[in-house]
Amino acid sequence: MRKERRKKFLINRPFQFRYMAILTGVLVSVLSVAFISLYFGIWGGVLDAFSDEQVQNDLIMASRMVEYEKARILSQEPEGALGFFKQAEKLSLRQRDIFKNILDETNRGLIPKFLLLIALIAWASIYLSHKVAGPFYRFQMSLKNIRDGNFSSRMFLRKSDEGKFIAQQFNQTAEYLDRFVGEIKALVRQNKDNPQKLSQKLQDKLADTKTSADS
Amino acid sequence: MRIPSLRFIAILLTFALFPSVPLRAQTVNPSELDPSDRDLLLKIQQDSLQYFIRSSNKDTGLTRDSSLPGSPASIAATGFSLAAFAIGASHGWIDDAYARQYLSKTLKSLLQQAEHENGFFYHFLDAKSGRRVWRSEASSIDTALLVAGALLAAQYYPGTPIAQWSQQIYDRVDWNWMMNNRELMCMGWTPENGFLSYYWDSYNELIILQALAIGASKNAIPKEAWTAWLRREEIYEGKRIIYSYSGSLFTYQYAHAFIDFRPLIDGDINYFENSVRATEANRSYSLRSMLQRKGYSPNSWGLSASLGPGGYRAYGGKPGEGVEDGTIAPYAAISSIVFTPDLSLKAVRHFYEKYRDRLYGHFGFRDAFNLDKNWWAQEYIGIDQGITVLMLENYLADGSVWKKFMANDAIRKWIELSGIKTAS
Repeated sequence: MRKERRKKFLINRPFQFRYMAILTGVLVSVLSVAFISLYFGIWGGVLDAFSDEQVQNDLIMASRMVEYEKARILSQEPEGALGFFKQAEKLSLRQRDIFKNILDETNRGLIPKFLLLIALIAWASIYLSHKVAGPFYRFQMSLKNIRDGNFSSRMFLRKSDEGKFIAQQFNQTAEYLDRFVGEIKALVRQNKDNPQKLSQKLQDKLADTKTSADS
Repeated sequence: MRIPSLRFIAILLTFALFPSVPLRAQTVNPSELDPSDRDLLLKIQQDSLQYFIRSSNKDTGLTRDSSLPGSPASIAATGFSLAAFAIGASHGWIDDAYARQYLSKTLKSLLQQAEHENGFFYHFLDAKSGRRVWRSEASSIDTALLVAGALLAAQYYPGTPIAQWSQQIYDRVDWNWMMNNRELMCMGWTPENGFLSYYWDSYNELIILQALAIGASKNAIPKEAWTAWLRREEIYEGKRIIYSYSGSLFTYQYAHAFIDFRPLIDGDINYFENSVRATEANRSYSLRSMLQRKGYSPNSWGLSASLGPGGYRAYGGKPGEGVEDGTIAPYAAISSIVFTPDLSLKAVRHFYEKYRDRLYGHFGFRDAFNLDKNWWAQEYIGIDQGITVLMLENYLADGSVWKKFMANDAIRKWIELSGIKTAS
């Protein structure tokens, strides 16, 4: 386990920084939309529902509601502290309902925004992963071609794909192998009537190469 | 010896000239009305109708309880609004297409948006969303007034979606549930505390609730409920009156705005005649306090639930609790016009000519005034403007609301089941 511990976190700064910026950007935009919607949704609702005029209206309405109830049941309760407490209770319940409505409405307002953001994140995920998955796939196919003996195979990546520097190295390697095997093939063709000369030429050619069969 | 004041002498003269209990109130036939009186009554009716046009939400159609800023929608006011729009369109005061649009929009909101419990709407709703506000109760009487307004509107537009939706609203109400397994209907229910501890147990506006609940084609209450409530009676100034506990005039009016009680006899009671007597008694009760209250006079009367200097109160006369402080609600006298046309007309003239500047506005008469405290309501209350529109319609248009409402199957069923006799 200890062997696998990373000693260096930034092994390819431009690549890693680019991805850090993209991921941070997505997260910041999601959080910003959520925060701004919540803040302005709630605060806007509070400003509207608890404006001086509205609070005054609510105070009057709380009193009116108690009066309506008393009128309907013909309550003979004396005015005063009890009536005041009833009005306060009405107003308190009303304000709780108002605040709940503000939260509910804000949440309802968030749903379409979040749906839009999820769609955006989904699109961004596919786009970003494709930038990596695409080259992986091409690597896989190119390596298979080489394994199958097609040394003329090369990797061509899209402009926005990641891993161009590896593809370049891969193509250089493939090109070297292509040329190397091509030269061997040429030697075979040229010396097919002279096996001794061919053997010597091949030995010279392969002298600098190293394989697992050497040991 | 103290010399009687001029005011005292004037009051004595008034008593001599205007007996507190008139011999027969119904003397003014609407067809024989002086054109200026008719014009005034029509103006009041049309201006009161404006309240519903201006105070109903443009999206849901729900009508605000009052003109007070921040006032929620009231389900009873919305019921009156449905009725008022249909009436207005029938006279051409409102464009028919506009009225149809309003009625459709409102009925759809009531069916799909407005919060309710077993079909009983919450008393106060947010006019924009239809959500319950102020932790109000799912109210039996307010739902009944809404259903009555919807059924009346349906009669103006038979065979249309308006009629269909109105019936759906009616059919959805589980009247039986509101009985709470008792003999009487409960006043309401809240999610927090369940059924309220108050029941409709004696004569008042409950008649419209009972009529609709017994006559319903779905979830009707047992017919025995009709006899379960108390007909409290008292002899007042020599006349027998079945009275409401508050003695408020509106309690003798609401059911009568829709139901034509003139030919109906319940046992030995004719509720129309009863309302005539109760109205006269209410006026008479205030006249007895003329010495103490500046506002009371033979042409200035109307003790009913209304705003007052100390807030909204169930003002009323005798028989009943007789709570009064000098506050007069003009709507109460106007809406008695089918019972006491002569007296009501004089009161209307008096209020309009004497107090127009302070009492009359864009939506007709404001709710109330109190001369002793020099207090004048600035507000209009939806249900008070509503009863004004309906009662004036009955008076001026030959009982057109009664005729339409009585054509409802539910009303016929209620009359049959409750054992009410129809005078031939």
